Amino acid sequence: MKLLDKYNRINISVTVVIMLVTGVTYYFTIHAILTHQVDKALVVEEREVFDYVQLNHHLPQVFRTNHQEIIFTPADDRVKRKFIDTSYRDTKELDLEPARAIITSVMVGPQLYKITVIQSTVETEDLIEDVFLITLILIFILVIALFLSNRLILRRMWQPFYTILNQLKVFNLAEDKTVASVPSTIDEFTELDQAVGIMATKAKDDYLNLKAFTENAAHELMTPISVINSKLDTLVQTGQFSDPQSKLLNDIYNTVARLTRLNKSMLLLTKIENGLIHDQQIVNLKELLRTSFYQYEELLGSLNIKLITQLADCEVSASLLLMEVLVNNLLSNAIRHNLPGGTISVVLDQQQLRISNTGKDGRIDIERVFKRFQKSSASEGIGLGLTICRQICNNYGFDLQYQFSENSHQFTVNFTVSE
Amino acid sequence: MKLLIIEDEAGLRESIEAYFTEEGNICETAYDFSSAMSKVNLYRYDCIVLDITLPNGNGLDILKHLKAGQQADGVLIISAKNSLDDRLTGLDLGADDYLTKPFHLSELRARVAAIVRRKAFNGNNILTLHEIFIDLTAKEVKINQTPVKFTRKEYSLLLYFIANKGKVVSKSAIAEHLWGDSIDIADNFDFIYSHIKNIRKKMVEAGGKDYIQAAYGMGYKFTEA
Repeated sequence: MKLLDKYNRINISVTVVIMLVTGVTYYFTIHAILTHQVDKALVVEEREVFDYVQLNHHLPQVFRTNHQEIIFTPADDRVKRKFIDTSYRDTKELDLEPARAIITSVMVGPQLYKITVIQSTVETEDLIEDVFLITLILIFILVIALFLSNRLILRRMWQPFYTILNQLKVFNLAEDKTVASVPSTIDEFTELDQAVGIMATKAKDDYLNLKAFTENAAHELMTPISVINSKLDTLVQTGQFSDPQSKLLNDIYNTVARLTRLNKSMLLLTKIENGLIHDQQIVNLKELLRTSFYQYEELLGSLNIKLITQLADCEVSASLLLMEVLVNNLLSNAIRHNLPGGTISVVLDQQQLRISNTGKDGRIDIERVFKRFQKSSASEGIGLGLTICRQICNNYGFDLQYQFSENSHQFTVNFTVSE
Repeated sequence: MKLLIIEDEAGLRESIEAYFTEEGNICETAYDFSSAMSKVNLYRYDCIVLDITLPNGNGLDILKHLKAGQQADGVLIISAKNSLDDRLTGLDLGADDYLTKPFHLSELRARVAAIVRRKAFNGNNILTLHEIFIDLTAKEVKINQTPVKFTRKEYSLLLYFIANKGKVVSKSAIAEHLWGDSIDIADNFDFIYSHIKNIRKKMVEAGGKDYIQAAYGMGYKFTEA
């Protein structure tokens, strides 16, 4: 839930509860005050009766006035003076109205009379209802006002926060963009902005240092590998070797070759990531694929893999070197993870290149494979091939997709995604 | 032929020198910028193998100096730097070829031989070795005047062998020469054998000698004997 909504929800429910409690308290208070008011009027009426009896020694004539009624009834005992809630029958409308009454008694000569003065409280009740209604309407208006002002004001106040948040979401270490400063008049947000800025700069610096280190390390390794390779080449000229010795030498050769490829891949990856490859040109993919097929001819033959191709003319603007790497990596993966006697199908049209191959592994977890140095246990590769492919595609805004269906792995490069 | 090897890494320099010093090749070496400059100022070479990163200077400056003096020495750059910019800079400055470290000495040998041939024959690229006659421009091979059809890979392999004649060429060097980096997926090099078998067969059928010998399980050797 958004902070704003959460805040609004709490704020408004608290407001409503307070308002309700206030309303109820209000209701009872006003009710008590008004009842007290009516009781006072009743006492005035009672006094008038007493005064009249004292003066005239008989009961006053009873008039039925509006909303008020006085009843005298002969009584045997003195009645305890009290106020009660009762009802009053309206003379005109003949319906029952809530009323307040005082019961008291008076001696007229020897006869004791009970006096009941009933005062209709219908107007009082109406008043209370009105007051309560007004209160409710006020609550309602207040809640709406609160809600709207929260939404408008808070939204504006939190704007810098959301701007910073969005920048963080799209923040990418490998990209050149830095986090732009978001000025704000609120101290917390200014601090947050500064902290994010410092963090992003530091992360970026560290990342660049690390990349520079990778590149330098890979570079520096090339010279010793060259020496080993050249010494091996010199060593094999020196004479006869026994079978175990030649096997050892072959193993060393292969290991050095592997080390070289690993190093080259690391360098290449660093270069692509750093955007250091700029030889953009029009690359004819059909030609490129044909050359690749020629390169892999013997390998396909020795593994008895059938190659099915369907190539249309397709040209993309990219680095020839990188497109070679992309195509070769995808093809060599398709060969490496194929079954003996399997097939590879390569379909090229103007929008996309699709390379699919039969395979034994079942679906691969592609996000894992796109990470560096992730490979299946059966693979002889160095685990950078697909990472490089993805990086190349990212560089040119191509979209690299993987699908698996019916024991067939399929990689698709869409060329026109972001053009 | 006469070569100058400019390389600061002693191990590599010695290996290259040892590999090239045979059959009348003269091989001189330089290990830093100033010694290299004095050599290129004093003598002319068929080919200069030039490392770019040198103590006290940059190999590209030597290349610029050579080109400024309109010297015809062939130049092959060897560098650990693989970036295309470096490569293009080197070639734009007039280098004849560019080889990235690490490399096989046999590959270096083949590239140097190609440069020297281009320089020496001035476009009229004919290579003869006993009964073998190769027109490098037309990419035609004749043995005892009989044209022999080689595939692209067989032809490239034959030239590679001739450039390294008398040397043991490892299978991994052949694989890299023919297939480049993509060869890492192959778990054996059996198809090298089939290419070599084809070359031998075609040469022998045309009446030539079988020059290619297997060398103790690790490679092949092109012998004139």
